[in-house]
Amino acid sequence: MDELTIVVPVKAAVPNITAVRLDPNTHNLVREGVPLMINPYDRNAVELALRIKDRFGGKVITISMAPPNGKDFLESTIGMGVDEGILITDRVFAGADTLATSHAIAKSIAKLYPNFSLIIMGEETTDSTTAHMPAQVASWLEIPFVYYATDAEPNIKDGTVKITRYLEDEGLLEEFIYNMPIIMSVYRNSNPPRDISLNRKIMAKVNGLVKVLTNKELGLNPDCVGLKGSPTIVAKIEDAKPLPRKKQIFQGDPKEGAKWLLENLVKEGVIR
Amino acid sequence: MSIKFDAIIVGAGPAGLTAAQRLASKGLKVLVVERGRKPGSKNVYGGRIYAHVLDKLYPEYVKEAPVERWVRKERISFLTEDSGTTIEFETNNVEHKSFTASLSDFTEWLGKKAEAAGAVIISESPVDSLVVKEGTVVGIRSGNDEVYGDVVISAEGINRLVLERSGLAPKLEPQMVGVGVKEVIKLGRKVINDRFNVDDDEGVAWAIAGFSTHYVPGGAFIYTNKDEITLGLVIYLGHGSKVDVPVYDMVEEFRLHPFINRLIKDGQLLEYSGHLTPIMGLNASPPSLYGNGYLVVGDAAGFLLHGGIIIRGVDFAIESGRVAADAIIKIHEEGGKYDGSSLSLYGNMLEESFVMKELRAFRNAHRALDEPRLYNDYAKFINAFLKRYFDVDGTPRKIFSTFKETKGNLTILDMMRDMTKVVTNL
Ligand SMILES: Cc1cc2nc3c(=O)[nH]c(=O)nc-3n(C[C@H](O)[C@H](O)[C@H](O)COP(=O)(O)OP(=O)(O)OC[C@H]3O[C@@H](n4cnc5c(N)ncnc54)[C@H](O)[C@@H]3O)c2cc1C
Repeated sequence: MDELTIVVPVKAAVPNITAVRLDPNTHNLVREGVPLMINPYDRNAVELALRIKDRFGGKVITISMAPPNGKDFLESTIGMGVDEGILITDRVFAGADTLATSHAIAKSIAKLYPNFSLIIMGEETTDSTTAHMPAQVASWLEIPFVYYATDAEPNIKDGTVKITRYLEDEGLLEEFIYNMPIIMSVYRNSNPPRDISLNRKIMAKVNGLVKVLTNKELGLNPDCVGLKGSPTIVAKIEDAKPLPRKKQIFQGDPKEGAKWLLENLVKEGVIR
Repeated sequence: MSIKFDAIIVGAGPAGLTAAQRLASKGLKVLVVERGRKPGSKNVYGGRIYAHVLDKLYPEYVKEAPVERWVRKERISFLTEDSGTTIEFETNNVEHKSFTASLSDFTEWLGKKAEAAGAVIISESPVDSLVVKEGTVVGIRSGNDEVYGDVVISAEGINRLVLERSGLAPKLEPQMVGVGVKEVIKLGRKVINDRFNVDDDEGVAWAIAGFSTHYVPGGAFIYTNKDEITLGLVIYLGHGSKVDVPVYDMVEEFRLHPFINRLIKDGQLLEYSGHLTPIMGLNASPPSLYGNGYLVVGDAAGFLLHGGIIIRGVDFAIESGRVAADAIIKIHEEGGKYDGSSLSLYGNMLEESFVMKELRAFRNAHRALDEPRLYNDYAKFINAFLKRYFDVDGTPRKIFSTFKETKGNLTILDMMRDMTKVVTNL
């Protein structure tokens, strides 16, 4: 290995979950007409990739499976310092669950960057929160996967990488040494993303640094992508009904009010 | 690493994008920088665009642009808590004078036009200030980055912080602006057709004064789109101290007024937004509309005609963007020296366009429109008068006596004075 190739898959997420509608028949998110943004946790993944590049050199690529307007947020990752972006977009990819998405991402990486050293992903997405993707990409590519990573120090000479991860519940920092290539997902409270440079965004657009590929170029197995490759069925979805409020209002002396509030909170079992 | 542009435009609103489209189509290297997520995402207006400028500049808009309905009915109402008086004008002539549209969708369309012409549009990047070297604007600053261009167009809208920070415009005074809030309510096409008594592509533009703004200067509006209506109001900030509730509560009270509520029954609130709007026309312009290396277009330049019932900003924005582009193209062809004296061409061309002709004619409109009585005493008086007049109970109701009974605090002298103000300034 003479140069690091770091690939960061990113997702076009729905910015405001509360404003989203669900298709009553398929139970899927209605994405039409909804502006997209980069999944916030993916920006921490991009940041870690760039920090590795800053210290050890190499090339950082972001890749996303998204509708055509996904180009904009890939350009904004270039604004952060990424070298190039890949947007894979095709009707046959539509309706994908995490399995079909991970297939498309994994196979595209294998095809476009067969010599990749690291794949770095966000901890999970804010609009579906499955955290499936990194593990699934790892299994399609048959390489190891480390989650909650906070840092990585590759050694280009011997092809190993030292990965630090943070286990929140245990309050533990762990270090592992692995052979590359490997996948890691990044602990969401680490690696706060850097600012986006306007000049780099301009460069991304003017020099066409985001490539748009369809399945004609990628040649993925149509049975493994999109709706066809998605075994997940959303069987049922229920609206959580808001709890009825008692709407009690206390008026009068604040001291009395505090007492009244305390008594009522105890009575309701909120505090003991 | 940075690229130098022929022209840099701050703000992807109707003004900036029109300039961009025109400059790029003449082969100039154009950059548009917008702080919103995409062109249109930050633009707010009431609901209608006057078509005359599009006929000239974007004749293909009829087919391509997201036009909602052609306005066929104009309504003006004076509303009180329990009564309302409405004048309705309707025309059967199928003239294409103004249409309702979502400004976000429309601006997005203008953005696509500009990009197709070759302009580079970068979104989600706020411009912090202009880069000024030796008294000349040479570019823009955003975060740690500077980008350079031969000329910079400020098309940043009324909240012109970039000009302010660069010392080219003073801070806005409250009396120069109104604050507007608006809601989009989905009703469905058929419901709108039925409740507003219109056909499929026919629309209503409605201005409502009085109770809608708690009798404070300003006004409410309703426009019909295809499937939804937009509803909102503008309050003149100079009278802000007289406002007794937050504006978002005010718009809610207006929506819940029995006359309005029954029109939007079972509607679904899709979005709400707020924005400043210049109300003093040219009196809100920055001291100079151009200078060494820069010029100002659209709302940022105060190019908004606020005639009380009619509010026109988009056509002025588009036309001023067009004029700025044409001036720049001319200077570019003559060697591209953008100092204040060569850019005075922009000023001259503006004078010849409808922008200055109309704005100058209405220069003192705010003097008439700023009169609180118009929104308070008159709104109440008209309704009280008609209520009394139509209330037949066996006592004689002659016009003059009814007038005397219902005019409240208004004196005949006030009325004559206000009438003169309105007639001479509007
Ligand atoms: C409530 C209300 C109702 C109205 N109703 C009507 C109507 O019915 N008909 C009509 O013709 N007009 C109406 N107007 C006026 C109309 O909206 C404006 O005149 C018009 O949008 C002006 O266009 P513009 O391009 O000059 O500015 P804007 O539309 O304000 O666009 C300015 C753009 O610049 C961007 N920007 C600002 N600062 C920066 C920065 N520092 N860096 C990067 N980008 C920046 C903004 O995000 C925005 O996209 C209404 C206005 C309001 C508030």
